Amino acid sequence: MNPQAEDLASPKRRSFLKASLLFISGLISAVIAVPLFGFAVLPALKKAPKKYVVLGIVDLLKGSRYRKVNYTFQSKDGWIQTNRKRSVYVTDSGNGNFVVFSRVCSHLNCLVRWEESKGQFLCPCHGGVFDEEGNVVAGPPPRALEKLSVKVEDGVLYVKEI
Amino acid sequence: MKEKITEFLAERIPIRSIETHVKKPLPKHINWLFSLGAMALFLLILQAATGAFLAIYYSPSPDHAYNSLNYISKEVPFGGFVRGLHHWGASAMVIVVFLHLLRVVVYDSYKAPRELTWIVGVLLLLVVLGFGFTGYLLPWDQKAYWATVVGAKIASTVPIIGDAIGRIMRGGEEVGAVTLTRFYAIHTIWLPWIAFGLVGLHLFLVRHIGSSGLPKNTPKDMDAGKPFYPDQLFEDSVAILILFGVLVVMALFVPVPTEEIADPTDASYDPRPEWYFLFLFQLLKYFEGRFEVVGTFVIPTVAILLLFLVPFLSRKERLPIHKRPVALTVTSISVLSLISLTILGLRSPRLDSTASTASEADQSKVHRSTDTEVFDFGLEEEN
Repeated sequence: MNPQAEDLASPKRRSFLKASLLFISGLISAVIAVPLFGFAVLPALKKAPKKYVVLGIVDLLKGSRYRKVNYTFQSKDGWIQTNRKRSVYVTDSGNGNFVVFSRVCSHLNCLVRWEESKGQFLCPCHGGVFDEEGNVVAGPPPRALEKLSVKVEDGVLYVKEI
Repeated sequence: MKEKITEFLAERIPIRSIETHVKKPLPKHINWLFSLGAMALFLLILQAATGAFLAIYYSPSPDHAYNSLNYISKEVPFGGFVRGLHHWGASAMVIVVFLHLLRVVVYDSYKAPRELTWIVGVLLLLVVLGFGFTGYLLPWDQKAYWATVVGAKIASTVPIIGDAIGRIMRGGEEVGAVTLTRFYAIHTIWLPWIAFGLVGLHLFLVRHIGSSGLPKNTPKDMDAGKPFYPDQLFEDSVAILILFGVLVVMALFVPVPTEEIADPTDASYDPRPEWYFLFLFQLLKYFEGRFEVVGTFVIPTVAILLLFLVPFLSRKERLPIHKRPVALTVTSISVLSLISLTILGLRSPRLDSTASTASEADQSKVHRSTDTEVFDFGLEEEN
């Protein structure tokens, strides 16, 4: 470096410039980074309130035993209003009460199947097995199958979204 | 600790030569206008960052584009801010790049040995305009749709191969889903790669040849100024901070202008391009009939070619612009024409929208209900 440039850069001046440079770039980066982070992450963390959706007509489901029922309900998917599809097993436990098993395996979210001959739910992915109450019999699942909250109104069976 | 890290790095990468490189002294006579390049680079990075994040939610399809942007603006936290930064950043980019070019002209910086730097710079100017043109189709509103319809038609006036160029731009006969996806790909993948490549080359040339400084620098002055780091970089950062502050205020307080969703049948709409293409919009009005091609093709092409050739037009030594009568005249006329065409374009009267519009709008509705198959582009809003 030539002498004149050296003069310009006295140690005090240099450290002031360096500190200011660091401050300004830090400030600009923060004002950009914080909103961008929130922009990308916050919508994904937002939990939508769960509501009851129509599963089926009570009269048609009477006497069901581990009956596979598929149903759809309206839901918001980003900027789209979409139909979400779900599949459950419905059992009529008498007196107008129903048990609705979620088919989602508590291990890694594969869909379980009811095996009538064995009286068990089997998971096709990692060998999880559940008994007729949905409790774990074998395999890696950490929890029982989920039973959905149900309610009956005007002859219609509703379940709470999952 | 710091020494250990430095030592570790020094054994692996040439940090000492990088250090001497960034501390390289600049020419003695230099001013803040030499920060315009750094400001443009900052804007490019800002556009890349905000654009990369906008792409997380944006859906490039006529059925979804408009609604996905509404979702960004109204429902995603900071969505309006991020979109605002990207929108106003684009306008700032055009202004900063234009001023950067003017600075180079005024100080005669493109003369030998900096011709290549200039040529790469002109290519970058075209890339910036390409970003603008492809970017503002993406919201798929009325302005977006009609600007692209007109833009593709302008390209179609090129003699002989014009029709093919227009089709290649649109991806076919009409502006539609295929146009939107190709503009999206060009805007978010092709142009960024090209831009960063050209910027890399531009910076390499600037660094390798050295900053030009003001014309009054003698050969002895060329490395007698302040060091690039931290002095010049500090000045650059102050300029960038001011620019960024303006953009933040704009993004927070000036909503991004959004129009109705694109409607190919709406004849009551008066199409206008984004402000930085208004000069061309206005220019086209002066060439009628078979002279149309003069405005759409001849003048723009000649202007761009001339721009590329500028550094080779004079072999004289570097002088400030007031001592170069020809350059001064040509530059002044060009800048004044651009500004006055833009102002005329801004003030350009709209068609009378009281008497005729109502009946036109009615007609377009009748059209739609009878000829749905023909006119329905699948642009209806989601319910």
